[in-house]
Parts: sequence; C-alpha cells; structure tokens
Amino acid sequence: MLRSQLHRRSQGTGAGATHARHQNMVVFSVAGKRLAARTEEIGGVLPWPGATPVPSETPHVTSLVRHEDSCLPVFDLAAKFSRTVREEESLCLIVKHVDGPLAICIDAQVPSLHVVPRSEVQYQSGLDPDIAGSCVAGDEQLPLINLATLGVASPRPA
Amino acid sequence: MGLRGQRAVTLSSGQAIRFLATLIGGSSVAFPAQWVRGIVMPAATGPDGFVTWAGMDYERTDLSARLKVISKGPSPDTRLILYGNEERSRSFEVDKVLGLLDVERALIHPLPPQFRGKERERLLGVFVDTSFIALIANPFWVLELPLRSQALEMFAVRFVEGMPEESASRLHLPVVALDEPVSMSMSHVSSSS
Repeated sequence: MLRSQLHRRSQGTGAGATHARHQNMVVFSVAGKRLAARTEEIGGVLPWPGATPVPSETPHVTSLVRHEDSCLPVFDLAAKFSRTVREEESLCLIVKHVDGPLAICIDAQVPSLHVVPRSEVQYQSGLDPDIAGSCVAGDEQLPLINLATLGVASPRPA
Repeated sequence: MGLRGQRAVTLSSGQAIRFLATLIGGSSVAFPAQWVRGIVMPAATGPDGFVTWAGMDYERTDLSARLKVISKGPSPDTRLILYGNEERSRSFEVDKVLGLLDVERALIHPLPPQFRGKERERLLGVFVDTSFIALIANPFWVLELPLRSQALEMFAVRFVEGMPEESASRLHLPVVALDEPVSMSMSHVSSSS
C-alpha cells in the first residue's frame, strides 16, 4: 500500500471515529427555556411567518404556518413547557418530523451549533417521551429533545 | 346586491372546487359552495331559531361552538350561511364572508398527519391563499350527516383553462342581504352583480 493511500485510509478511519465520538447538536430556546436537539432532526430556520389557528384537539398542535406553496403544522413547544412565546419576536424552526415537516416557534436568538462529545450526552427514558435525556453543550447542561418524534407518544384525545 | 368577491386560486386545466370562504373566530373556514343555499343577515332567524328561506326551513347549528373556536360576536359583518343538500339543511353564523374561491384540486392539501384528533373529522384539508390559510370544513360534519371518505371529491368539477365562464355558470348561488362588496386581493375570475 502506498503511503499516501495509507494516510488517506487512516484519515478516513480517524474522521469516522471522530464522528462516532461526537454528536452535532443545535441549541435553541423557547420562551427562555434552553434546549438541545440533534442537528439531523432540523431542516432549517426561518423568520416566523405568523400562525393560523386550527381548532384542534391534538395536544400542542393547534396552528399552521405558511411555508413555500403549502403550509406546515406547528407544534407549540412553549405550551408544552407551560410557557408563552412572543410570536412577533420569534424564529421558525423547521423540524424533520417522522410524520412530515413540522414548525416550531422559537426565540429570536439564532440557534447555535455545537459538537458535543458522546460522553457528554446522557440518554435516559423518563416520564416525558419527548425528552431523550440531557447533554452538555457550551458548558450548559441542557435537556435533549426528540424533535423527530415530537408529540407522537402523546396520548390521543378521547 | 351580490357576492362580488369571486376569484380563482391558480386555476389552470384540471379539477377545481368552489368554496365559500368565511372567517369564524380567528380562523378562515371554507365550505364547499355547492351546498351553500344562501347568505342572510342574522335578523332573518325566526323566533323558533329557524331561518325560512325560499320555502325551506334551516335549523340553526352553532358551528363556532362545534368547532371549539370563539366567535368574535355580533358585528355588521356577521352573516348566516344557509347550507344544505337534498337530505338535510342547517344555518350557521360566521363572523365574515370573504367570498367565493375556485381552488384547483391539486392545491388542496390534506390536514397534516400531526393533527390526530377529532379535527380530522371536522376539517377535510387546507389551501393556501395569498392572504390566509383556509381550513376546509367537512360539509357532512357541518350538516351532522354520517361522514364519508373522499368527501371532497364529490365537489370537484372539471375546469378548462381559458374558460372561466363555464365555471362561473355552473353554480348559481342565491345571495341576499350582503350589503358590501367583498374586498379581494387577487384577480377576479368573474364578478356577479
């Protein structure tokens, strides 16, 4: 094997190992509550377009926002944490949800990217299925939220 | 007097559904227009709670309560929609009539699957207009009839590009007591007087 090939191979292995040892996280806040989420569960961030209320019995899914030529359902994460978000000073986080794209109204502070060592991520199943565990990102201990399955495990309305 | 706010949401060739768009509470709610029998002032309600129009009685149903939205209350824009088919008829109050819209079938989206409750029985889908997102009320639910699958399909009509008159002539909507023209931001398909 050529030395250059060996180098490339070792680089590749090293990158893979690095990737395995780290988790990319996005940190954002909802009505002041700081949260972390896995980067791969996020589709983008946009200015908040304003929501249209929907008379809904699904917990926390009570509005729609315009997105491109269609519209997206909104998960009211602030309401889940018994908080109120000021929509006029907000951003729209697009989530890659298992049921299709989903919008979340988050605080105007632009989400930050963090590379978190796996050792700093604690997965634990608690009472809330939407919370995967916790992680340390930027010296903060933050709840790790399951964006892709948000609300899926919520009890269905009677 | 007439319902002058009639227009199209991106009509090309294909199937379209005509809706009567209204405001109920903070939501824009659209009703398949083929079952709209009339639009009257709230004062048309008789002491028995029925509206009698053209020899037909329309029993009142509180649609805002059934939808669980808070109506804005009586205002000069409040109207009663007379709605019915050959089986049943109802009248219900809306906060405002926005107008008639012809919406291409392809632009009507089902309610996203994240909505998992009873709203799926009440709302058949949504469409996006320039100024609002309209929720499509299930006409069978409105009339308290047994629900059907594919309910919207029975309201779809073929629309041929360049022939909006054909669409306009298919539906003759009796409209009474609608004093002001409906303001619209998009180009009109046609206007009735």
